[in-house]
Amino acid sequence: MARLVILGAGVAGHTAASFAAKWLSETEDEVVVVTPNALWNWIPSNIWVGVGEMGKEEVTFDLAPVYEKAGAIYKQAKAVSINPEGSADTNKSFVTIEFTGQDKEGESENIEYDYLINATGPKLNFDATPGLGDGNGHLGEHTVSVCTADHAIHASHVLDETIEQMRKGERKKFLIGTGHGMCTCQGAAFEYIFNIEHKLKEEGVRDMADMTWISNESFLGDFGMGGLHFNMGGFVTSSKVFAESLYAERGMDWIIGAHVNKVEAGKVTYETLDGEIDEQEFDFAMLIPPFAGVGLKAYNKAGEDITDTVFAPNGFMKVDADYTVKPYEEWLPSDWPRTLQNPTYKNMFAVGIAFAPPHPISKPMKSPNGTPIIPTPPRTGMPSAMMGKAVVSSIVDMMKGKATEPTHTSSMAEMGAACVASAGKGLFSGTAAAMTVFPIVPDFKKYPGTGRDINGTTGEIGLAAHWVKHLLHHAFIWKAKLKPGWTLIPE
Amino acid sequence: MAEINKESKHVKHVEPYSPQSGTMIPLGTQKFLRTCVLWQLIRFVAINIKMTILIVKSHR
Repeated sequence: MARLVILGAGVAGHTAASFAAKWLSETEDEVVVVTPNALWNWIPSNIWVGVGEMGKEEVTFDLAPVYEKAGAIYKQAKAVSINPEGSADTNKSFVTIEFTGQDKEGESENIEYDYLINATGPKLNFDATPGLGDGNGHLGEHTVSVCTADHAIHASHVLDETIEQMRKGERKKFLIGTGHGMCTCQGAAFEYIFNIEHKLKEEGVRDMADMTWISNESFLGDFGMGGLHFNMGGFVTSSKVFAESLYAERGMDWIIGAHVNKVEAGKVTYETLDGEIDEQEFDFAMLIPPFAGVGLKAYNKAGEDITDTVFAPNGFMKVDADYTVKPYEEWLPSDWPRTLQNPTYKNMFAVGIAFAPPHPISKPMKSPNGTPIIPTPPRTGMPSAMMGKAVVSSIVDMMKGKATEPTHTSSMAEMGAACVASAGKGLFSGTAAAMTVFPIVPDFKKYPGTGRDINGTTGEIGLAAHWVKHLLHHAFIWKAKLKPGWTLIPE
Repeated sequence: MAEINKESKHVKHVEPYSPQSGTMIPLGTQKFLRTCVLWQLIRFVAINIKMTILIVKSHR
C-alpha cells in the first residue's frame, strides 16, 4: 500500500485530491488530505460576498463529507514541517501536522508518505506593510479584504455602513488595489472596485463617491503577466488600453507603479516608480496583501534544517524550474517548471501558489530609491487546477507502477488561462470582462512581438461574460462537491 | 475625472492631458451591445467556444 499526502485543499489541492481518490479507489493506496480549513471556499465569488450579493454559505461548503464520499482521509490540520528523508527513528518520509479541528486542536501527528503534493496556497502576508496587518499576521483595522469568505463578509458590512453615510450626504473616498509593491492577484482587486462601483450606482450614491485604483502594476492591465495583446476591432490592442478604458468610462482615477509602504486610519503612504512619496486618503479601502509561503520547515534524517534546500527564500517550494538569476531580456519559457517535481526529493511536488516561480512575468522595476515594485506572477484559478490534475496524473501512474518519472506536464509557458473578471452582478444588468490568454508566460520566439498567440488571446466586456462567471460559480462548486458528472467539467 | 453626461450616456468631457484622455471611451452603440440580450447570447456561445479551445490546447 502506498500513501499520497496532499497539503492544502484549495483549487489545486482539492482538484488533485478528487482525482487521486477517484483513480486510486480500486487499489489499497491511500489519499490523505491535510488542510487547516473545515470549509472549501470558491474564492472567485468572494467578490460578490464583499458587496453583499452573496452569503458565505453560497461560496463555501463542508469538506469532511465530500472527502468521506470520495474515500480520501481528511485531516483538519496545518502542516508544520516535512522530513523527506525520514528521521532517526524511520526511513520513511513524513510530514508533521498540527490539528486545527476534529476535536484534536493543538495535537501533533506525523504522517508518513510515499508521495507528497504541496498545495498549501499562500500566507496572506498583511504584516509586510505596516498598518495593513495587525502585527499578528491578520488583517489590520484600517482596511478590508476579500481574500477569505469571512473577510468578504466583514467588507460587505463596512461597505453597507459607508453607503448609509453617503445616503445622508457624506462624500466618501474609495481606495482599492494592492497593498504592497510585490503583490499578485490584481484581478481580485480589479473585480472588487468595479463591483463596488456597480453597487454604488444601484444604491443611487455613485455621485457621492471618489474612486481610486492603486496598484503595483507599471501600467493598467499588466495583471502580473506583463500585460497582453488581443484583437479588438481589427487592431492588436494592449490590455493597457482595454483596462484604462474601463476605468475612464466609470470615472475612476488610478495610481500605478505604487508600493504602499504604510497604512494608517484613513490614509496610505506610497512610493511610486518615479521615486515620489505621496499619500492618498480614503474612507473605505480594500488592499490585497502580498503572498508568502505558509512557513513550512524541512529537516533531513539527522534533524538538520534543510528548509533552504526545499524552499525558496519567499517560502514557496522549489520545483523543476530554472532558478538562475538573470536579466529580463534573458528570461525564457523553458525557465518555468513542467513536472512541478522537487529537484532534490523526487516524491515531492508543488502546485498552484505553493510552487516557487523562477522569476516574475512582468518586467522587474525599481524606484530610484531601490524599492522593487513588481507584480508577482498569478498562479491561481485555472492554472492551479490544471497543475493539480497534471501532477496527480503523474503520481498515480507512478503509484500504479506504470512509470518511474512524471508522465504529465503543466507549464505556465505552455498553457493558457481564462479569466472572467466581474464588473457587477445582475442577470440582465451585470457585466464582466472575459479574457483568454495563451500562453500565460509569453514566448517571444514563438510569437514575436506580443509573445502570445493572437488567436488565443482575447478580451471583451459584456453581459455574456457575467453569465459565464455565474455559470462557472455553480459549475465549479458542483464539481468540487463531486456531484454526478463532476469529471465532465473541465479544469 | 471624466464627467459622465447622463443624457447621452457617454463621456461629455475628458480633461486634456489627464490619464483618462489617452484611452478609448465607449459610445452608445457599444454600450447598448454590452447588455443587449440577443447579441450577448451570441457572445455567450462565442466565449464558451473560445474557452473550450483554450482548455483543450492547455491540457497535456
